[in-house]
Amino acid sequence: MAAPQEEAPATKGPKQPLYHASTQFRNWRFSFEGLAQVRGSMNEAAVAAIRRKIEADEVLHVAIAAPGSSSNLSFLSADEEVVLVKLYLTKITQLCGMFRFPEEVEATGITYLKRFYLRNTVMDWHPKNVMCASILSAAIRISDRDDRLTALFLATKTSNFPISLETYTKHIPKTVPNDVLELEFLVAQSLAFEFAVWHAHRALWGIWLDVQTLPDLPVKLDTEIYHAALAHVRASRLTDAELVFAPPQIALAAFSLAAPDIASRWLDSKNSGEHRMNPNVIEEIKTLILSQGHPPEIEAVREVDRRLKLCKNPEKVPGSKAYLAKKAEEERKAEEKRAKKADSVQKAMAGEGDPFGNELKKSHTALVDYDDDDDD
Amino acid sequence: MDVVEQANAERQRRWQKDKKIGEGTYAVVYQGREVGTGKKIAIKKIKIGGMRDGLDMSAIREVKYLREIKHQNVIELIDVFSHKTNLNLVLEFLDSDLENIIKDRSLVFLPADIKSWMAMTFRGLEFCHRNWILHRDLKPNNLLVASDGQLKIGDFGLARDFADPGYKMTCQVITRWYRPPELLYGCRYYSSAVDIWSVGCIFAELMLRIPYLPGESDMDQLKTTFRALGTPTEEDWPGHTKLPDYVPVGQFPKPPLRDLFTAASADALNLLNRCLVYEPRNRITARQALDHPYFFALPFPTHPSKLPKCFKKEDTPPLAEVDGNVGKKGNKGKKRKLSSPLEDGKGRSIARKLDFTKPGSQ
Ligand SMILES: Nc1ncnc2c1ncn2[C@@H]1O[C@H](COP(=O)(O)OP(=O)(O)O)[C@@H](O)[C@H]1O
Repeated sequence: MAAPQEEAPATKGPKQPLYHASTQFRNWRFSFEGLAQVRGSMNEAAVAAIRRKIEADEVLHVAIAAPGSSSNLSFLSADEEVVLVKLYLTKITQLCGMFRFPEEVEATGITYLKRFYLRNTVMDWHPKNVMCASILSAAIRISDRDDRLTALFLATKTSNFPISLETYTKHIPKTVPNDVLELEFLVAQSLAFEFAVWHAHRALWGIWLDVQTLPDLPVKLDTEIYHAALAHVRASRLTDAELVFAPPQIALAAFSLAAPDIASRWLDSKNSGEHRMNPNVIEEIKTLILSQGHPPEIEAVREVDRRLKLCKNPEKVPGSKAYLAKKAEEERKAEEKRAKKADSVQKAMAGEGDPFGNELKKSHTALVDYDDDDDD
Repeated sequence: MDVVEQANAERQRRWQKDKKIGEGTYAVVYQGREVGTGKKIAIKKIKIGGMRDGLDMSAIREVKYLREIKHQNVIELIDVFSHKTNLNLVLEFLDSDLENIIKDRSLVFLPADIKSWMAMTFRGLEFCHRNWILHRDLKPNNLLVASDGQLKIGDFGLARDFADPGYKMTCQVITRWYRPPELLYGCRYYSSAVDIWSVGCIFAELMLRIPYLPGESDMDQLKTTFRALGTPTEEDWPGHTKLPDYVPVGQFPKPPLRDLFTAASADALNLLNRCLVYEPRNRITARQALDHPYFFALPFPTHPSKLPKCFKKEDTPPLAEVDGNVGKKGNKGKKRKLSSPLEDGKGRSIARKLDFTKPGSQ
């Protein structure tokens, strides 16, 4: 998909190095230690919060409380969360393949999912649902408008994944399921509305164009090399590489895995210029791709997912007592606010004297937008 | 509270909404200020609630691109926060736009003024293009003007990036009068040249003080264009008859631009001409335009602070007083349906209203 495109008009080469001004560079780059810390403290806070909620739930309903209390529940660790998310990274690839989304959508969806779980825990939001919202977000942001989105909306409805092609052509939905919409917004929020992503596969394309101009190459530049390198870039998406390294570094590491000699020739030619790249960093990324760039062991994930069923945040499980209580509380607050607002409008109108006379009063009140309560 | 909610709440607290100043198709715009500094800002509240496709595409595009770029001649997106399911964009406050200024008959434009606006437009656009962002909806209404006279490209609701050369893009972009012939002919692989055509039309409009190519339909747009600039030949624009929506609309000779633009300098006409080249690949780029002799010849561009300005929005009574039925403190409980007489006649982008859901309009 990201392979050379025949119909392409005159190529402009890779993106310019404006990367350093990007939100990705400024806000989504970590050290490995930093990443571990972010995930660790998020996990800790989540566990504490969920434990409190489960306990509150139990106190309220002692009589029907399930056997076993929160104290002997085994919550997920930060590492276990990562493993579960990783499984869904691989599912994004499958889903995008099924809908023939461009590589850009797939890569962006993967980035969104990873970034989402730097701010959220799987114990609140199951990656199965967030995955759909992530692809949806990615697809909408990238394509101008796309029919396949409609199909994806349906796929998000059917939690049984993968769905067959026939199912979705038969019932093209008119609306997007509400829960996906809600999640889409949460995803956007979690991304801090920073949607633009710089991808290694684009950088790889740039390197590929660039190596063609190297003089006296020892080997023939077969497109096989490009495709092999691209496969390594794809593998890198299953790792934390993009949260630590710059896209050109990952691209070069992938290229180096496919054709080490050409890669080092290219690096030499570059290092004379201002774009310095540290060969040690490239080696580090190569090791990362080789050791981590594969799907997680399915048995391990299954075990995590099984335990997740027991330690999910009850507030986010539709139908649970905590969920219903939270909804009721929200509803009560909203109602209160609406009443207050209607009241203050009535007062304002009565106080100032309505220039349109009494008859119109009613319709005036009706024009008040009760949902427009942003400005308080 | 979740980490995400907390971060959002912190952002939200930084900004204070003061009064509603306008309403677009998908947003309500408020004047406001930064709580800490009192700096005047605009808050664009995107209504999402009823949107069946979730987050509004225009809003998303605007956020996606503006978050990444910062330039004196591009509107600054200062912050983004959400409230319930509303998206709020905190933007720098801009008093007016080129459309207002062009329409204000009490203002006289000197050639140096036009040159100044053109230079700022090209600077902003060059920056967008250097960042691989196509604007795709340039028109006087989207060239906003700050109180210090700086022109800012605004409204990135139709923008997209074009770094991937092989991607098909929709041709249903750019308000008709500013839309280049390749889009009218259904071309799906286009480039930054589409924005340049729009700038050419704006340049002409600044000189004429009326829209240069006001077509009444897409077909009429082609006719209007060819009447003004001559029907392109195969030599002018190789291969254009093979474009998906090509239709012959008649043979018009190319009249000299000079006949219409009687007061323009030779340099100005040359630049205009180069913006309105039919073959997109031969159209001048923003980078090249900035080096064009027009910008180096006398008269030099007017300093932004000395440019003609029309009334400031803040001099007009706030909506509350127009309506006459709103409490004094803020705009609590204000009716949304009423709008100031000053904000109508603004002509929303035609392109935006087109249906992007139809098959094949990726
Ligand atoms: N940054 C801003 N500063 C001041 N006023 C603004 C700003 N952005 C928008 N407005 C006002 O709000 C109105 C609506 O804006 P917008 O939603 O962009 O719709 P439109 O493009 O239809 O004008 C504008 O016409 C303008 O009066």
